Amino acid sequence: MKQSGFPYVVPMLLLSVVFFATPLAVLVGFSFITKGGVTLDHYARFFGDEFNFRVLINTARLGLETVIGTTLLGVPIALLYWHSGRTLRQVIIFLTLIPMLTSNVVRTFAWIVILGRQGPISEALMALGITGMPTSLMFTELGLVMAMCQIDLPLIILPLIAILTRTQYSLTEAAQVSGAGPWRILITLMLPLMLPGLLAGWILVFASTSSSFVTQAVIGGARNVYVPQLIYREVGTLFDWPLASAIAVVLLLSTGCLLVALTMISRHRRLNGHA
Amino acid sequence: MKNFEISRRRFGQLLAGAAATSLLPVSLRALAAEKETAIAATFPGNWEDAYRNILTPIMKKEGYGLTIAPALAQDQLAKVMASPGNPPYDALLMSPGQMTIAIQNDIIQKIDPSRLKNWHLLDPSFQGEYGPTVTVEVNGIAYNPDLVPRPKGYKDLFENPAYKGLVSWTGFASNTAVMAYTEIAKIYGSGPDDMAAVFKLFKDHPEQLKSIVDSTNHQMTLFQQGEIAVFMCSTSNVARLKSLGMNCEFVHPETGSPAAPVNIHLTKGTKNADAVYAYMDAAISQAAQDQFKLPPAEMFPTNSDVALTPAISAYVTRDQLKTLVYPDWNSINKNRDAWIREFDTIVAG
Repeated sequence: MKQSGFPYVVPMLLLSVVFFATPLAVLVGFSFITKGGVTLDHYARFFGDEFNFRVLINTARLGLETVIGTTLLGVPIALLYWHSGRTLRQVIIFLTLIPMLTSNVVRTFAWIVILGRQGPISEALMALGITGMPTSLMFTELGLVMAMCQIDLPLIILPLIAILTRTQYSLTEAAQVSGAGPWRILITLMLPLMLPGLLAGWILVFASTSSSFVTQAVIGGARNVYVPQLIYREVGTLFDWPLASAIAVVLLLSTGCLLVALTMISRHRRLNGHA
Repeated sequence: MKNFEISRRRFGQLLAGAAATSLLPVSLRALAAEKETAIAATFPGNWEDAYRNILTPIMKKEGYGLTIAPALAQDQLAKVMASPGNPPYDALLMSPGQMTIAIQNDIIQKIDPSRLKNWHLLDPSFQGEYGPTVTVEVNGIAYNPDLVPRPKGYKDLFENPAYKGLVSWTGFASNTAVMAYTEIAKIYGSGPDDMAAVFKLFKDHPEQLKSIVDSTNHQMTLFQQGEIAVFMCSTSNVARLKSLGMNCEFVHPETGSPAAPVNIHLTKGTKNADAVYAYMDAAISQAAQDQFKLPPAEMFPTNSDVALTPAISAYVTRDQLKTLVYPDWNSINKNRDAWIREFDTIVAG
């Protein structure tokens, strides 16, 4: 008789309930609590303030910009990996993984040097005659997106590499023999093949960027306000936990909706080789 | 050699035992070695380094353990308020602004001065019923003489083009910043609470808000990188930057230097009160304050037996302490929420 696998799932279910579902339920509960009982007031306060809505849009935009940036950088690196021999592959994996082993805080502070007035970007712009004086990219969204792209790049490269290592190189040769040029091979063959990896990477990058408090605070400064800073302000400075919970739930839902949509797309039959 | 064999069950038991040991509270593990351990919150950076390096050995001699946990005053409040009845810190470090909130929320308790051997060495103004004052933070303006001229005061920063784009500010969550803003409100408005005048100033001079950051700690990093040349600071920020080899000078604003006494408080509900008293006593002892007054911390000593160093005297003497500007924290706390929200809206606008 076939044994049920349920008992083996119990520890994982218990851990999920204790460490994930319960805190989440507490968070959601907090967002509806007031002295008089249950209320939607905190959500009304959040959406009633145009500033908060703008912050939510800014956070989503930052996530999307970073997704675009990491995709433009990640796809060529993944393709290079696919085309390379063993040694270069090891180098690419090493260079991809090493930054992940460094603290996010350290990487963020290193970007202050790179983006600052005396940093290499500013020096290069002056040397090329593009700018006549030192230029700082600190406290700008461009600077923040650049830093986030570097920090989150491994999150898109690794799923792409995982997909490409399962892909036969002979497919491109066949396309070449059939008369397809390099761009056509990339657009009509490689990108569709890489799409499941791209979707997985986009989910990871978007989630990581929109919640990256340290980098947003340090590189973006206080002028570029994003949702994690808003939550920190409400909890740590204004002690308005119900409002902070409501903001966290809004962030969770808005990010969650996007992630669910991407996940559903990534599970589509045509993307899994069932065309 | 005998073959080493271990069953899966035994291996699981070993792992569970190791995990259980690591989950034991720090204080329980420390109890094995010392009488009691105080978990003391201090400000990150200079304070954290100085308190850990100087007070830990003194406490050890007395038979107590000391764990220094870095946290900004507002974060200390938030964490203690989040754990009613089971405070994460036994002792807190705060200025009067946060102390008022802590008293209102019943998270600190009055102390018994008879338990502090060094209590009598403090000036009466430093003998708070909620804990001793360990130093007075004197605030002003830090600047890099290589990049900008010496500012006279806050007004100069808005009206002299030499400072354009090189001044950094933080939001109203920072005590240093809020003290500077109340002084600016006096200059441009009708009094320390007239923040509308300050917000108007920021709206009229958006170029002055180029380098706004979330924390004063970030400003020191930005100053080191030459990203900014001026920021609102305490004397200890300047001492720290100088000790790192930076060309950094401190200016008393012409309108007066805002100041804030810094106090150690006993958290309500602590189970390690003896260790906290030992920690308070160590922090106001001559042995500790003789070291705190030296670079890189250069903290103003509140123990009357401790002589001021020439470097500290250059900033402020004991007589000058009375002439510093001590803000009305009750008024600040009353308005702070609204100011924080308004400031965020303006700077992000």
